[in-house]
Amino acid sequence: MKATLEIINRMQAEGRIGKYAIGGAVGATFYLEPSATLDIDIFVSLKNPQGSPLLTLTPIYDYLTSRGYKTEKEYLVIEGWPVQFLPPGDALDEEALQQAVETEVEGVRTWVITAEHLVAMALKTARAKDFARILQFVEAGVLDADKLDSILKRHGLLEKWEQFGVKFLRGPDPSGRGNP
Amino acid sequence: MSDWMRKVLESKRATRRQLRAFSFSEKLKLLEKLRERSLVIARSPLRHSREVRDDRVSSPR
Repeated sequence: MKATLEIINRMQAEGRIGKYAIGGAVGATFYLEPSATLDIDIFVSLKNPQGSPLLTLTPIYDYLTSRGYKTEKEYLVIEGWPVQFLPPGDALDEEALQQAVETEVEGVRTWVITAEHLVAMALKTARAKDFARILQFVEAGVLDADKLDSILKRHGLLEKWEQFGVKFLRGPDPSGRGNP
Repeated sequence: MSDWMRKVLESKRATRRQLRAFSFSEKLKLLEKLRERSLVIARSPLRHSREVRDDRVSSPR
């Protein structure tokens, strides 16, 4: 993993990519106990090619494949780890990338998406494994409730959070009035 | 819930707390080991023979 991050940092230092942050299961590992994953999700700010309004991953693919790294489905395999580069898909992803926290992996500088943004993103994606991860975050007690609340409000996810709470945390309100 | 089960669950929670307390670097080393094991399991011929058997069972006649 250290070698993988070194390559990504080099791409950043050489101006091929802008800010980046680790998300997904590897990002969650920053806050939780490690759980098996096969790939790394890297949220990355891309630079438009000159004169083009479109964002493209081509410069990343060109940079890495020209250095001998192989592609595997939607991944680029960097120093043994399949890496998926994800440009921000919406305002939540963009905010998560901008507010990522800086850390180190064996002396290598890197950035990880905040716990609250990871939960909001998992809620948005809403697969079974995303719900399981949200429960891990809740159980671990690592979430800042006010921060999470403001993120959910800002990105229109409060209703989904309420549904998640009813289904997995509290159960339905027996009075039928809903939760405040 | 029996006392025995309560102890098992508390022990699991304690282990998870310990793992959470590791540094990010230490946790990523564990993650790499978990990944290697997952790949070994995925490549296992036993798993593939099981998949073939499952296909036979679920195939419509």
